[in-house]
Amino acid sequence: MKDEALSIAMISDFFYPNVGGVENHIYMLSANLIRRGHKVIVITHSHPPDRVGVRWLLPSLKVYYVPFMTIASSATLPNYFTFLPYFRTIIVREHIQLIHAHASLSSLGQEGILHAHFFGVRTVFTDHSLFGFEDAASILTNKLLAAALKNVDAVICVSHTGRENTVLRGQLFEPSEEDPSLSVVRSSVYTIPNALVAEQFIPSPWPQPLETINIVVISRLAYRKGIDLLVATAPRICAAFPNVNFIVGGDGPKLNDLLQARERHLLQDRIELLGPVRHRDVRDVLIRGSIFLNTSLTEAFGIAILEAACTGLYVVSTRVGGVPEILPQDMISFANPDEDDVFRALSEAIDIVTRGAHDRLEAHARVTRFYDWAHIAERTEAVYDAVVRSESIDFETRVRRTMSLGPFAGLIYTIILVVDCLFFLFLEWWMPRHDMDFVREHWKPDVFAEFAHKAQSSGEEAP
Amino acid sequence: MIPDSTTESLPVQPDTAVQWRKVLWERCPYPDNFIPPDSFLSALRRNPNFTPYSYWPLVFMCCAITQHVGTVFVFLAIFVGLKERSVDARVLLWVSVSCSVLGYGIWEILHSSHPSNMPPNRSKAFKSSLLVFLALMGLAPVLRTLTAATSSDSIWALSACLFLLNTVLADHSCSMRPGSFTQERLTFVLSMNAAISSSVVLASRLPDDLSVFSLVLFAVQLFALFPLLRHRFWSISTAVQALVTLSITAVSLVLVTPLSSAIATMMTGIYIAITFIAPGVLVWAQQYKNEIRGPWDVAIPRLNWI
Repeated sequence: MKDEALSIAMISDFFYPNVGGVENHIYMLSANLIRRGHKVIVITHSHPPDRVGVRWLLPSLKVYYVPFMTIASSATLPNYFTFLPYFRTIIVREHIQLIHAHASLSSLGQEGILHAHFFGVRTVFTDHSLFGFEDAASILTNKLLAAALKNVDAVICVSHTGRENTVLRGQLFEPSEEDPSLSVVRSSVYTIPNALVAEQFIPSPWPQPLETINIVVISRLAYRKGIDLLVATAPRICAAFPNVNFIVGGDGPKLNDLLQARERHLLQDRIELLGPVRHRDVRDVLIRGSIFLNTSLTEAFGIAILEAACTGLYVVSTRVGGVPEILPQDMISFANPDEDDVFRALSEAIDIVTRGAHDRLEAHARVTRFYDWAHIAERTEAVYDAVVRSESIDFETRVRRTMSLGPFAGLIYTIILVVDCLFFLFLEWWMPRHDMDFVREHWKPDVFAEFAHKAQSSGEEAP
Repeated sequence: MIPDSTTESLPVQPDTAVQWRKVLWERCPYPDNFIPPDSFLSALRRNPNFTPYSYWPLVFMCCAITQHVGTVFVFLAIFVGLKERSVDARVLLWVSVSCSVLGYGIWEILHSSHPSNMPPNRSKAFKSSLLVFLALMGLAPVLRTLTAATSSDSIWALSACLFLLNTVLADHSCSMRPGSFTQERLTFVLSMNAAISSSVVLASRLPDDLSVFSLVLFAVQLFALFPLLRHRFWSISTAVQALVTLSITAVSLVLVTPLSSAIATMMTGIYIAITFIAPGVLVWAQQYKNEIRGPWDVAIPRLNWI
């Protein structure tokens, strides 16, 4: 499928040393693209005092930590211009052909999309989250997203629901080819799910005891994760099923509610609170249980659900966002975000597990078949190929598309676009390209293989 | 902003007859950018809980704002009259005392019409009003010279800002549930404080202690007590509201016209704009309402104990 190896820069505010869904997605995708022969670098903001400059991560993933201040939740301030000097130097030095920005709240990514056309670099954007349309924060960030996505070459979303959401938020419509009066969704909007490393989530080799059933919850204890539903349902389940216990991992503002409920119903020995769980310890917690409960009120993809299903747990989840798309009906029970319905779904799940109708090893094998990073990387590569083959957007079209944002926002963003061009010309004069040091690649995969082979054969010859 | 026909088929056509399914765990023979013509955005709902406003109820609701603006203009007219000595401070004092007695009587009648309300504590009300009366009387000389070192231009600008704040933050709500206490809300307190501060700085421009005293007393009645009484009127009928609105605007126009006919014309314009034009604009703007709901919204958990 691939024509030639590409040089790709992943740009996002969210990357290691922070831990989370987006961070892991970028790392796994990069690693698998490198495995497929591409060159991948990551550009993110620095984490003073020690995570600054350029770092290498296994397997040969170069990370640029650009010195930017963060404002909140590891996001940088959107300012449209200050990233350009860094961006220009990195893109030119590394011979980047395509940038892939991640997460709609990452201003670094959006800025990269704005600057990329100066260098003939193509742009892909992945959206990882769902947003509404009613509160002031959503209205503002949706406008920023719409502005950034006016001139992006392709958009990837992690679920079908996420794609519908992103199409509406980013206004990804264009006039139809047959009838210009109609508008259709751009053909460059893709759905490519997340994946997981199934080897990290192998079920427990020992059979689960049937006399006690553990229900596992691993989640940030916040309102959006529906902890109110958990607080309401857990005591009812404990009262109805004397052999069912809860194991709750995670920390957050709703921890107090949970502690109070536990104390009020005298369930200290039935509801175990683990506090924050590191990602590498998640499997050890999961294998203690038979049922995984997710009470989120909104969820774009629900990677935690997949991890639990992969570890062989039966899943009970609220029917929100992209969750109904990720697992077949016989591996998951859905509930409406309603206390009584969560209770009903949990009771059904306890019945299924008690009957022994859920096979852990088979569940693991199925999830392994469904989701595989190598497969996801291949599908993403197809998007890159389509983008590289497509015609790039000329400046006039860019201005026209930006102006279509609206009478005020359109004008503002067009001014930003033009000022950005002037800033770029100034940088070309001030820091000419011929003065730059270019990165030369010594360690291409085939060279590496040759050296490895040589080392191996010389090792065999030596005594 | 969303085109109506979002489900136009794309040039990408599948070569098999396998049904497209909205799942991620199964690879179907469709490309990743395939937009299913029927199901794409089928869960989108627009304006699901939309109840359109109609014109005349809105006009009546806007009466609350008109009344408030009217009281501010009445106060400003009285202030200018005191400053130019066309209004006698003693007359103002007697008018405000008799108005407050009248207002208290109406308040008590309205209060006792709700059987659930506690019987009013008359001696406490009398004591606190006497306290305010005496305190203001004692403070009047201090208030008169309070801003002597500040230029009048700054005072006009400051009081304009404070009255604007007062109008914006005032409680313009119209539903009068029995037993609800409007004065408990923070914005109401802020609004009242802004108005009282504004009247204090304005009073400091007046020439004698009696004028200062009567103006501040009048301000307390107009901005602290009268809004509570006005709020009570909502429980009676809209006709009473219309009557109150009409009388406040008429009084303000009668007071302002001798001072400046241009300002009186402007005020008439403001009243008409707030009462009749603004509701019309809102009714007209409703056609652009586009509330988007879908499966991506944060669900609202339903709990039994709530």
